[in-house]
Amino acid sequence: MPETSQTNLKDSYMNEQLKHLNSALQQHPELKYVLTFREWQTDFLRFYQSQTNYNISKDSSSLAATLYKGKKSCSFTVDHPDNPKIEAALKTALDMIDAMPEDPDFVDIEDDLTLARPRQIVNNIEALGLNEKTRILRELAGRAAKYGFELYGTFICNYQSWQMLNSNGLDKTSTLSPIYLEVKAVHKDSQVTVLETFGGDDFSYFKEASFSDNLLTKIALAQNPVVDVAPGEYEVILAPRCVAEFAQYLSSGMRAASVDSHNSFFEGKLNQQLFPTFFSITDDPTDPQMIRRDYGDQGHIYRALKLIEDGQFRAFMCGQYYHLKLGLPKNGNTGACLKIKAGNAKLSDMITSVKKGLYISSLHYMNFINARETSLTGLTRDGTFLIEDGKITKVVNNLRFTERICRIFENLIELEDTAHTIPFSDNYGEFSVSSARAPHARVQGFNISSSTRTI
Amino acid sequence: MKQKIKSIIDKLTAPDISFADVRITSTDYESIFFMNANLRSYGNSKGSPAIGIRVLIDGCFGFAGSKDLSAASIERLIAKARSNAIHGALFQKEKLTFPALPASTGEYVHQPEIDPFAMPKAEKLEYLQRLATSIKPTGKIVHSYAAAQFERQEKYYANSEGSYNHMIVTNSLPMMMVVASDGKQTQSRTWPGHMSAGRAGFELFYQQNFEENTETIIKEATDLLVADVITEEKADIIIGAGHLALQLHESVGHATEADRIFGQEISYAGKTFVKPAMLGRFKYGSDILNIYSDSTDPKGLGYSPMDDEGVPARRVDIIKDGILVDQQSSRHIAHKLGLAPSSNMKASFADDYPLVRMTNFCIAPGKGSLEELIASTERGYFLDYTKTWSIDDNRNNFQFTTEIGYKIRDGKIVGIVKEPTYFGITPEFWNACDAICGEEEWAYHSTFHCGKGEPGQVMRLSHGVAPARFKNINVSVKM
Repeated sequence: MPETSQTNLKDSYMNEQLKHLNSALQQHPELKYVLTFREWQTDFLRFYQSQTNYNISKDSSSLAATLYKGKKSCSFTVDHPDNPKIEAALKTALDMIDAMPEDPDFVDIEDDLTLARPRQIVNNIEALGLNEKTRILRELAGRAAKYGFELYGTFICNYQSWQMLNSNGLDKTSTLSPIYLEVKAVHKDSQVTVLETFGGDDFSYFKEASFSDNLLTKIALAQNPVVDVAPGEYEVILAPRCVAEFAQYLSSGMRAASVDSHNSFFEGKLNQQLFPTFFSITDDPTDPQMIRRDYGDQGHIYRALKLIEDGQFRAFMCGQYYHLKLGLPKNGNTGACLKIKAGNAKLSDMITSVKKGLYISSLHYMNFINARETSLTGLTRDGTFLIEDGKITKVVNNLRFTERICRIFENLIELEDTAHTIPFSDNYGEFSVSSARAPHARVQGFNISSSTRTI
Repeated sequence: MKQKIKSIIDKLTAPDISFADVRITSTDYESIFFMNANLRSYGNSKGSPAIGIRVLIDGCFGFAGSKDLSAASIERLIAKARSNAIHGALFQKEKLTFPALPASTGEYVHQPEIDPFAMPKAEKLEYLQRLATSIKPTGKIVHSYAAAQFERQEKYYANSEGSYNHMIVTNSLPMMMVVASDGKQTQSRTWPGHMSAGRAGFELFYQQNFEENTETIIKEATDLLVADVITEEKADIIIGAGHLALQLHESVGHATEADRIFGQEISYAGKTFVKPAMLGRFKYGSDILNIYSDSTDPKGLGYSPMDDEGVPARRVDIIKDGILVDQQSSRHIAHKLGLAPSSNMKASFADDYPLVRMTNFCIAPGKGSLEELIASTERGYFLDYTKTWSIDDNRNNFQFTTEIGYKIRDGKIVGIVKEPTYFGITPEFWNACDAICGEEEWAYHSTFHCGKGEPGQVMRLSHGVAPARFKNINVSVKM
């Protein structure tokens, strides 16, 4: 079914408070406005030492508004809104807005009225109850315990929706119900850790047996002796989680806002060949094996956007404000659904081809040193392994790297022939879950700058 | 509200509930952000409500939180918290337990000198606009911002042991930054660095001398474009208080949160190299190093008459004369370790689950001024204003980059270096500390943004520090 263009507000599903504020603002034709009503719930099981740490249910609702009068603006948020609170907040904003300094760069609010194709959204909080979650965890814990490993992690279901209206006629709703299962198996004595995750909005993609088998395979590797390695450049196999996370950091420079703040590696590099021809990144919100998105942050339709195509930089992610300020094409993409195209190598062959190198499972605490240069530092985590003569032979203490992400992708040798879904939890602000898809990558000259001397 | 929270506690006196507590918060928030001298965003929320109910049943905690404080919602949350505890106990090997505490009461109302929520909005905006205009992009300066966040929170706490706490505090976070570019590279300078928050109102802008430092950060950001980098492998470094606060935060503060010892944070924030057997014997730092957790000092953001588990405020030595002697703990973990609970369990908002958090986490002052410390340094660097921070899963290997380094030769500052980066191993680094400045340099440096837990919480907390010197530190990072 094609996307359609919307012309009328749909009162039938509009939240009462949203309707109330929208009605009040229609008395002020001098204003432009954006209104967003959000509801959010989570069921959150956190476990450690193969037992419950805590079990949380949380919910919230809020109504956010931004009013514009010419180039002046004023925003407010009302949590758990009711009409008296909304009226008080609106009165304060109306009293203030004339006194606000102008933003000369502001031109207009979002005007893309395209509606996404309707999707059936299952409320996974209801579909995946605590009994089932604890059953799955007990089964996994039982298998891991045979090898001296205990489980740590989280099993989360969210259900979140928003409705956004604006005075340009935009009226859109969006619902997500992501699932996030992160299981770290930690050896009781050595503390060697391995990680297995599932994420998505369709739990039918969760294959319990293969999840469990994958975890056990990693546990088997984790029983090798632990060694340290010296700083230096290594050939590495980056697990899909690492490839996805480096791509996420790289994509921060593909945002129009970073161009505006002179912080973008990609400024002035449109259509330049920056990476090997087999490297492509798309921001794709439509893949059913990922956590899908219908709209960007400002309500623009969210479509697949090629960011890196055959190694060439193709597009900045740009919303209305920076489109009108910088003249970049508007697309509303946010980088929440990055897909790194699979290559044509078998993982087993990739490992076999490494004479001496490292397998890196996961990354930790990365931070840019200079975002414009893509230089950053970070650490390995949850399973770093030594590869010798084409075989994983030992566990390696966690390592620090100091690198340029552009150099990591310039130094790609090959990519695995399969991409894997990797969930990420966004732990700041309202808890949310996103996902990316990526294959394993073989990279030369990866710069290890020091050892942590610990697992 | 006092009546309401106590009536909720009354509903939680069931035979199967061995402990229960309830938090209620109401939060006002205001954010002002000028970018390139223009008001990019202004936002506020008033009286944002939150409630959290926690019950301990069959040795397992269950929790439910919401922004809906209606009677129907409270009934729903009680049922949900109970259900979560009962279901959680299905996946449990060890029953969670801790000794009872006597009932206690707390009351505190903080009054800022200039209440940011009561002062005229025009006055506030005019000040920030003037500040933003004074750092407006021109010449090599290509980007700038001046920003402020203000928060007032009223909090009620009650538990099934009869403890009750009520407090109202106002916190502020001012910040400004300039970015310089020569077309090839960018360099930035902030003022007063990334730990600029305080338990204060708008007076924080005046106390932190924002207007007096606009020209300094413009000049330094511009000068950094042509500055050298550090070329030595190792050097003596003096760390300014603003950045030392973060060094302390990452490599001692988080490392001595006892929930990490048992892996309760492995899935997100990580664990710690600290083990229970180290208490009382591990040489964490040099003999001059004394570090304490102090929730009794109302000048810091971490002050509270009692924590979110009903433990009265305490000052606890964590490192005494260089030796690790205690931990920041919850009641459950303190019991496991044979310690007294340290009053460090905090939830950012009432609908958040309480976690072991830093409160006012401080290095005791030593002797002398910063000027004297620099004068006594033959060759080294004075580093301040955090740019990049990173530390490993065990809080053992860290690497920091600051915005600027001041080169010291023969006791004098003789130039600057850009992006000075140092790294080390936590105990080796703190054992290399040979001087800590005195009380005249000691102050709180505070943040709104300490992330921990899942669902994530950002905690407001403070670090009391004075500049300190560290000998023979790795300052060469090959890339």
